[in-house]
Amino acid sequence: MVKRIRDWLEVRIGLDELIRQNLTEYRVPKHINLFHALGAVAVVGYVIQVITGICLLIYYIPHADHAFRSVQDIMTKVPYGWLFRQMHVVGSNLLITAVLLHMVTIFLMGNYKRPRELTWVSGGMLLIITLGFGLSGYLLPWTQLSYWATTVVTSIPTAFPVVGDFFTRLLRGGNYVTGITLTRFFAVHVSILPPLFVLFIALHIALIRRIGLSATPFGKSDEEKRPLTEYRKKTHPHGHPYYPYLFQRQVLMGIMYFIVMFAIVTFAPTFFFPEEATVPADAFQTPENIRPEWYLLAPYQMLKLIPNKFLGILMQIILLAVFIFWPFLDTHKEKNILKRPILRGVFIVIMISLVILMWWGRR
Amino acid sequence: MRRRTFLRSLLAVCGTLSFASFAYPLLRFLAPPGDTDKEKKVTLAKKDIPVGTSRVVLFDQKPVIVINHQEKGFIALSKVCTHLGCLVEFNPATDILLCPCHAGTYDLEGNVLSGPPPRPLAKIPFKVEGEQLVIG
Ligand code: HEM
Ligand code: FES
Repeated sequence: MVKRIRDWLEVRIGLDELIRQNLTEYRVPKHINLFHALGAVAVVGYVIQVITGICLLIYYIPHADHAFRSVQDIMTKVPYGWLFRQMHVVGSNLLITAVLLHMVTIFLMGNYKRPRELTWVSGGMLLIITLGFGLSGYLLPWTQLSYWATTVVTSIPTAFPVVGDFFTRLLRGGNYVTGITLTRFFAVHVSILPPLFVLFIALHIALIRRIGLSATPFGKSDEEKRPLTEYRKKTHPHGHPYYPYLFQRQVLMGIMYFIVMFAIVTFAPTFFFPEEATVPADAFQTPENIRPEWYLLAPYQMLKLIPNKFLGILMQIILLAVFIFWPFLDTHKEKNILKRPILRGVFIVIMISLVILMWWGRR
Repeated sequence: MRRRTFLRSLLAVCGTLSFASFAYPLLRFLAPPGDTDKEKKVTLAKKDIPVGTSRVVLFDQKPVIVINHQEKGFIALSKVCTHLGCLVEFNPATDILLCPCHAGTYDLEGNVLSGPPPRPLAKIPFKVEGEQLVIG
């Protein structure tokens, strides 16, 4: 029976060829490590967000008068509603962590270098899209926390002369955060960002497949210590087949993701729900301790520290551009960061300042 | 003009036009709706705000705090912090308005005393008409 189905498919879509091309004869470098599976973890994370997000969509009501109530109903009345909401909320935080870790490891291995600049750029866009998901989703439960955090974040563009005020009004659909803002953010969250995400992930993966995975620059026997000067598909003839070699590692890391997620849902269910996140939005009362989510804390604190708001935002835009276009700025031939003391120093300084800014922004 | 050049220009013009005829409505569609019922005056009775107390009223969609101060009489200030838009709280003991978000402080004139706010709080014009306070 199975054989007949296989044969049927073989004639129509060329199953054997697909399997050979994508699984068994698709080779990955010998010295591959668990970090190479982080991208796949991000994909797993996204799949979870999509499934749980669609579940929430079935009961959620995107209207200022009903949003808070409907989310409370999801938590208390809908069978297992709490589970899907918890998975969506915890998942959004873990997903951002996974994407960030993925980028850091790519950076440390120098794998953004020629000819993989566009892979990095598309990854940067994916990070921005992921942050956009987090920011737009944050308003949806319509709590004090989400209302005021959104007020603060959408005020940031006002520092820009001329276009700033218009941009803020465009984001909010008016002068203040209101029900109009809620429906805008809802549209962004469930129907504008998802297709954008699909577009960039497709580009990202197509580029990776075209050029082939890079080896780590650390191993002695790896041939790829220097960036390529011309296009040469990295077929890794002496490497391992993707399936099962890397595939197993990806599955392992995916399971780890689930373990962390369920550990948080089970043992620290209030971790991502401070008190203000359980009180309905009140446009006439600002609670204390309003701050954005942890992944926006560092840029947020930086904005607060720079006395001139305009300068602060300009600085962030420049930093973002440097980050996205980094492969075009760093054209050094050496991939191994251990042999590049200055870059290593800069990296450590950036990491430490990010941690300090985050810790500072929390207070 | 050569036939091919002509066709190409025609295509460019038509393409631009049809794109613009879609882009312009889209832009208008997304732009925030204008403020319609602006500047409705708000009236409240003086006796509702005894000396030493304050009240919050809605004016032009935003909360305004009206303070009846012992020495300075009536004061009306927007509650919207000029930093990032949180709402300030009035502390009658110190005569200071404090923003809970990043601890910006203002005096009774709305001037910034400390913290990140770049501008003073907006002063809201009002008139005293007999026993009434007319805001706006
Ligand atoms: C197509 C995919 C998605 C759909 C259909 C979707 C749908 C929803 C819905 C209906 C809500 C409101 C319910 C609620 O607040 O609990 C929500 C909230 C939220 N979403 Fe998504 N979502 C999707 C993807 C994502 C992704 C990829 C992220 C990750 C960064 C994310 C982060 C959030 C956050 C942070 C909230 C607020 C959660 C809360 O406090 O309750 N979403 N989403
Ligand atoms: S919003 Fe008031 S001090 Fe920042």
